[in-house]
Amino acid sequence: MSQPSAFRVDVLEGARIAVMSLRANRLRTVLTTLGIGIGVATLLAIVGIIQGLNTSFHQQLATFGANTMYVSKFPWMIKGDWWRYRNRKNFTMDQVQRLRALAPFLSAMSPSVQRLADVAHGGEQMSTVRIQGVTHEYLNISGYEITGGRFLTEADDTTTRPVAVIGADVVDGLFPGVSPVGQTIRIENRTFQVVGTLSRKGKMVGESLDLIVFIPFKTFYSSFGNRRGFEIAMAVEDASQVRSAEDQLVGILRRVRSTPPGADDDFSINRPEAMAQTYEQLTGALYGVAVGVGLITLLVGGIGIMNIMLVSVRERTREIGVRRALGARKRTIVFQFLMEASSVSAVGGLLGTTVGLGTAKVVSLITPLAADVRPMTVVAGVGFAALVGLLFGIWPAARAANLDPVEALRYE
Amino acid sequence: MSAASSAEKLILVEDITRVFHVGGEEVRALRGVSFGISRGEWVAIIGQSGSGKSTMMNVLGCLDTPTSGRYMLNGKDVSRMSDDELAVIRNVEIGFIFQTFQLLPKETALANVELPLVYRGVSARERRERAKAALDKVQLTHRMHHRPNELSGGQRQRVAIARALVAEPSMLLADEPTGNLDSATGEEIVRLFEQLHQAGHTLVLVTHEPKLAARCPRAIRLSDGQIVADGDGRQVAMGTASDVLSAGGT
Repeated sequence: MSQPSAFRVDVLEGARIAVMSLRANRLRTVLTTLGIGIGVATLLAIVGIIQGLNTSFHQQLATFGANTMYVSKFPWMIKGDWWRYRNRKNFTMDQVQRLRALAPFLSAMSPSVQRLADVAHGGEQMSTVRIQGVTHEYLNISGYEITGGRFLTEADDTTTRPVAVIGADVVDGLFPGVSPVGQTIRIENRTFQVVGTLSRKGKMVGESLDLIVFIPFKTFYSSFGNRRGFEIAMAVEDASQVRSAEDQLVGILRRVRSTPPGADDDFSINRPEAMAQTYEQLTGALYGVAVGVGLITLLVGGIGIMNIMLVSVRERTREIGVRRALGARKRTIVFQFLMEASSVSAVGGLLGTTVGLGTAKVVSLITPLAADVRPMTVVAGVGFAALVGLLFGIWPAARAANLDPVEALRYE
Repeated sequence: MSAASSAEKLILVEDITRVFHVGGEEVRALRGVSFGISRGEWVAIIGQSGSGKSTMMNVLGCLDTPTSGRYMLNGKDVSRMSDDELAVIRNVEIGFIFQTFQLLPKETALANVELPLVYRGVSARERRERAKAALDKVQLTHRMHHRPNELSGGQRQRVAIARALVAEPSMLLADEPTGNLDSATGEEIVRLFEQLHQAGHTLVLVTHEPKLAARCPRAIRLSDGQIVADGDGRQVAMGTASDVLSAGGT
């Protein structure tokens, strides 16, 4: 008659008592739960938002193409002295032509220059539209597709034609319900004929990629002055060739720009993928801080659990005495209180998960940040909360189990 | 006293002492107590407060262990058992009946009675059946779904007795079982004890009331941590019994 299936008794009885005690102290349970809930909610909302940021950033970068590079005197992410980059010499068309001859491994290449300007058609006007001067090869680098008409041609560029290919937002804004191809638009009082329209690309870090007008590179300079520097967009056939292309380009660019031996490169080769890494380093730090804050909140919640469990142990001292007298082992009592602590926390975790996910969702609806919540995050949230409860329940549970039965029975 | 050999005794206490340390001072609650109780006996342990009877009750109930000496319960030496082993012994060998009933307030009478079986790992269905049977013995089946606060004092004590009976322990150990009851209800409980005694249960009753002890066939009087009388219940209770110390030894 020793201890048949003692573990089963511990678990079943522990769970039953936990549920009963939680139901008996509803208000207290809810309040205690709130502490853990807020912690989990904070953590989940932050994680959700940051994961969302990362995901959308990666998706947006992907639209740039993993097989592309952008050579410029400025790096995309400036570290250190801006003037150092500012003082580098601008690229020239002569350099572009020599580069083209020396780098046959590039599948496409186009100089690119841009500014913001107002664009109008008839009575409609749009401000701060990106006007970008490029050559015909840019289409293959940009990742846009033609939805109507055609893209710029080589002839457009050599003869500096006033033609334009417009982005989806510009189509919507200036030509509601009308086919834009063949129509004219005015950019800073100069007239351009629309020859093509572009597919929609969406947003990049909150900025629309479809509020754009492409015009021939040479036309850009003849229309808007030539003091502006340009970058050179280029693509290779496949993303796997980007690394080796970058290595070769360094040598070629130094030769083309006559960089003295021993001097630093006077140009930057920018890759979307490298930008993603820099971005992740930045958000990684933010992530760490945010998760730290969430963990501290959870810690506070955990102390709340511990406090309430200590109260619960005191309140139920006699009950513990009775149970011990009737044959409950220490382990059974420990189990009872651990189950209680972790179920309070798990309920809190569930509550917090709901609130946290809700918050992330609301944030994604009212701001350009797209929150991304993965199923694993939810599981981790609830599980983690239960774990916190378990950890902070250990001490009160041990105190309960170590009560002297005689003393406990006598407790008033 | 009978000359029954120690092997037949359900309870055999040999030269037990229990020393407490309270604020640096040594309190000798029991100083060399020896006696035996056979199966089926009904024995009262009486004494004034401070006589050591509560300590004796805790030791007999395996809630406490003696500082020295030996305590054999149902053939097992329980004086040196671990905490977990004692929990099992309490569950299997002892049915407690307390002065303050010690029922769990949030559970029904039935659930309270089931409790010892829970810790024995008995299935839910069997627990229910056996608890109902135990409540039937104390004539309380009609109140089994009530909580303790919906029951009278006498009914609560009967629930507690059913709880003590349900796991069929070797002995029932009652601590001032009528202490919180009016005399009529107390009498009702004593009658119940008489019935249980006649049914063959072993009963140990710890009390300070001579009237209650006088109802028991045998009583042991403790004073100052030692046995001062052991014999017929009425004689010991009334103080007319001669000091019988010879019965305990060996």
